[in-house]
Amino acid sequence: MRPEITKIQELMEAAEYVTDAPVATSVHLATRLRKPLLIEGHAGVGKTEIAKVMSRMLETNLIRLQCYEGLDAAAALYEWNYQKQLLHIKLGEASTRPLGEREHEIFSEAFLLRRPLLQAISQESSPVLLIDEIDRADEELEAFMLEVFAEWQVTIPEIGTIKAAHPPHVILTSNRTRELSDALRRRCLYLWIDYPDFEKEVRIVARKVPEINDRLAHEVARFMERLRGMRLSKVPGVAETLDWAQALAVLHADHLDAALVQETLGCVLKDADDIKRFQAEAARSGFSSFLATP
Amino acid sequence: MTGAPGASSGAAPARARADLPSAIIRFAAVLRRHGLPVALLQVTDGVRALSQLDLADRDEVRLGLRVVFVSRPEDLPTFDRCFDEFWRPQTAEETLDFPGMVSPAPDAPEGLSLPGAGDKRETLALDTWGEPEDEDTGEPLGVPGVSDAESLAGQDFSTFSPDQLDEVFRLTIQIARRLARKLSRRRRPRARRGRIDLRRTLRANLNRGDLIELRYRQRRRRKVRLLLLCDVSGSMDLYSRFLLQFVFALQSVFNRVETFTFSTRLTRVTEYLKARSYRQALRRLTEVRDWSGGTRIGESLATFNREWPQVVDRRTIVIVLSDGWDTGEPEVLATELMRIKRRAGRLLWLNPLLGNPSYEPLTRGMAAALPLLDDFAPAHNLAALRELASKLTI
Repeated sequence: MRPEITKIQELMEAAEYVTDAPVATSVHLATRLRKPLLIEGHAGVGKTEIAKVMSRMLETNLIRLQCYEGLDAAAALYEWNYQKQLLHIKLGEASTRPLGEREHEIFSEAFLLRRPLLQAISQESSPVLLIDEIDRADEELEAFMLEVFAEWQVTIPEIGTIKAAHPPHVILTSNRTRELSDALRRRCLYLWIDYPDFEKEVRIVARKVPEINDRLAHEVARFMERLRGMRLSKVPGVAETLDWAQALAVLHADHLDAALVQETLGCVLKDADDIKRFQAEAARSGFSSFLATP
Repeated sequence: MTGAPGASSGAAPARARADLPSAIIRFAAVLRRHGLPVALLQVTDGVRALSQLDLADRDEVRLGLRVVFVSRPEDLPTFDRCFDEFWRPQTAEETLDFPGMVSPAPDAPEGLSLPGAGDKRETLALDTWGEPEDEDTGEPLGVPGVSDAESLAGQDFSTFSPDQLDEVFRLTIQIARRLARKLSRRRRPRARRGRIDLRRTLRANLNRGDLIELRYRQRRRRKVRLLLLCDVSGSMDLYSRFLLQFVFALQSVFNRVETFTFSTRLTRVTEYLKARSYRQALRRLTEVRDWSGGTRIGESLATFNREWPQVVDRRTIVIVLSDGWDTGEPEVLATELMRIKRRAGRLLWLNPLLGNPSYEPLTRGMAAALPLLDDFAPAHNLAALRELASKLTI
């Protein structure tokens, strides 16, 4: 294994992120090849976390662009501060200066609102740019971003062209609510994050909720593994595991039993049908089957 | 990490290193043959990636190339299989060669094809679908002219002969275009209501010295998406080839479509259908190894709800294409359909059997589904598909 990859793994672990070879390798390649990294996976498996850890690791800023339906290029890149411009015009109404000059004035840096993409290309050192849930944005924005990624420069008609001296490291995340374009996929490196396996989940719990003991951490991970094997409509992610472990820690629990699980089930299962399904399964196979080694 | 021994890495001959680009090119070709969409950019990235990886560590090379060449989780197993074949672990005689790397025999591709015994029939069924497109032997005799379009439109899919396929396809595309236009239409009433649009107002009044003309902004309309769930089980065989052609056509003119096929299990085929020709799409679909088997609609929908819940929202029109022959429990079907209905903007069921006047939806599955549907319509001929336009609104 490359020492750089081992190093990344160490740094990520030091930044409280439990990682493995696939994650470390993709982060390594993304930083070395200077390519955007597209991360897909179920909700709550720690996609966004990677960008945060990466910025801590590289000791650089994290700039986040949260996507939503209807997000347009203006809100992603820059906008003019209209209110301020308006006010400025009003205040200068009595002025006899030529119109062109006045117009030039209100379209200067002072009236520019920098949105995440513009922020990302005007930093002192390469920041980490997190484009979160890109699948929620419209296809048009996707195409627009590809353009930005290609050049790392933005032209604002009234001001001129701004080119990034230090292009950002880009992380895109997607929950797959919409299939992203092939063009975008081609230009990105790709990482799929699945639910963690038993060993990894134990490590995650132990790392993030150190208050609970080793036995309980193992039981929690085993229980989650079993739950994910059931046919649930809302499969709990790592976020749920951690919420649950946190709750168990507050209750000073040191092992799982049927009563405790019933009390805290709401941390893990968030769908009425799923809870019913769990109760039925527990009644049929017995609670202890949830903690048995498969 | 396990894998090839790293000891000999220092001794890697320069010749092998120089050969890396060509090895990557050949590897990319293998991946393409197995249906992965590999572009030139990825090939160059692959070469660049290798220079950043420990070539003696086979697992690292695998993970690294995976990051470059795979762009969706469905392709992961295929990639791993191709990788194992192509970059075989080194054996004793090959120690002099590049560590961890062995070039495949020039005509290895057939040897790489996916294993599996019980899938002959399905694969064959798909193979023959592409046949009638044979461009060169197409003789004008059986090909219907434009004037025949109307008679074609009324003809039941199950009675088409292979030589009518081209014409049917042409018509299918027309219909798909019409549907796409309908779905893309964004009505924006000019009513003087809504919030004042500061930006446009300012722009419009820049030269006037005061805000004379106000501009209004309408809330942006969210776009409609389509979700197609196509039954490809044995009982649908006569219809699914046409319906998939229709789905292919629809997907090629309208990009907010997600398509899944099911018989005993569910497969997302959106990507497979993004091919240049229907033939190519069919070739890709061959990898879906669940064709013409039995039907378990309820189970398949359950899988859908579990794994793809995010695909359906209020602006999604869900269309189930199936004859309703379900070998599973009707309660499961009803429950799962209800789940979809709760989230979807509209739920339609297209049933090719409905074209038959004497048909009554009495199969247990269909009877369970019926009360939940917003619309239940036939899909046995082109005219029925054309009718669909009137139903695609939320």
